[in-house]
Amino acid sequence: MNTASKKINISELIACSGCDLLLERINIKYGDSAFCPECGEKLYTPKKNSIDKTLALTLTALLLFLPAVFMPLITLDTLGFKESGSIVDGIIRFYEKGYLLVSLILLLTSLLFPLLKLSLLFVVSINLKLKRYPGTLPFLMRCYHYIDEWGMLEVYMIGILVSIIKMYHLAHIHYDIGFFCFTGLLIAAVCSSIAIDKHLFWNLIEKKGEA
Amino acid sequence: MPHSSTEKDFITLTNGLHVTTMEAGLAQCHDCLKLVPITGQHVITLFCPRCGAKIHPRKPDSLIRTWALVLTAIILAFPANLLPIMRVDSFGVPDESTIMGGIIYFFKEGSYGIGLIIFTASILVPFFKITGIILILISIHFKWKTWLRHKALMFRGIKFVGRWSMLDIFVISLLQVLVNFGYFSSVEASPAATYFTGVVLTTMLAAITFDPRLMWDINKERG
Repeated sequence: MNTASKKINISELIACSGCDLLLERINIKYGDSAFCPECGEKLYTPKKNSIDKTLALTLTALLLFLPAVFMPLITLDTLGFKESGSIVDGIIRFYEKGYLLVSLILLLTSLLFPLLKLSLLFVVSINLKLKRYPGTLPFLMRCYHYIDEWGMLEVYMIGILVSIIKMYHLAHIHYDIGFFCFTGLLIAAVCSSIAIDKHLFWNLIEKKGEA
Repeated sequence: MPHSSTEKDFITLTNGLHVTTMEAGLAQCHDCLKLVPITGQHVITLFCPRCGAKIHPRKPDSLIRTWALVLTAIILAFPANLLPIMRVDSFGVPDESTIMGGIIYFFKEGSYGIGLIIFTASILVPFFKITGIILILISIHFKWKTWLRHKALMFRGIKFVGRWSMLDIFVISLLQVLVNFGYFSSVEASPAATYFTGVVLTTMLAAITFDPRLMWDINKERG
């Protein structure tokens, strides 16, 4: 039996969430990632200026959010008929046709969850930036953790592109203000979820900025 | 409150570092990933000191919940694929098509790229997710210890692609609004849309409830 008995501070350890291997946390360069040697799961990726970047990107995304979902995305023009639609119109149409579950899921995945994700990240990062640590921050971070996977803006973007290609031969397509706002929103939202360093955020919240 | 190291912040590892978190008497919080000591605690439910979530060494009832969700997904996959998902009316002639019918239509028309995208998102991805999760569940049931790294990689793939199956629903929701020229041409969703959304939901939930650490626990059971 190996008797290399070792007393170690728990905060210097990290567990792999893929295979439960206990590992010693090592310091790595910004932008690099640490992977589990056993199962290959990504452990953490330290990000440079994570709080500033997250704050700036979520603010940008929030400013673009309302026009992106309420303004028409594209207008189809055939034989003198014009029809334009926004993301919200798509949800309402499903609801009107009686597809309650589908319209609810659409409402959540393409509108409420992305908005909530951005708002939560914005509130958390502005608090961390101002070095304020109210007791609700852990709750907000947990909410973010739970809905993270359910915001599907990037899937919607591909959906818009597929619809455009589908209609390409049949009608003349005008790109409206909503399309450009949505593209900007998507870029800012995706970058904000890349910029966030969850380990850093959690540590700052736990130690109230002393980390 | 100043943070100072106390005795309870330390653990002693007798076997070096090659142990699992559970063997070391710790559990990782599912929400904030903090490591929490679980041995010598005299409470029934333990809450994370950092975020307040309940602490479990493994996700509770993971296998049975995942089985239930995957089986639901299989049941829903039948109406989702057999019933029509979209109806196109042109000049008063209705034409209903299933998911596969729509894809075949694209290939006949020569739009191979878009046909391939829809085929991948609506048929391949759900199929891959369901068979992949079942394979992993069966391998845990029969305690197969082989291909662990590959299964771990596959599970990460399943988690990653999960959300992309919603693509078809998003496309239909846009087409319904945009292609609405009365008698000439209009697009409407058909019943399979609900079942298809159900398949996406249940497979995503199955990937969330499944705890990949269970695959590796089998490997660790030596006695």
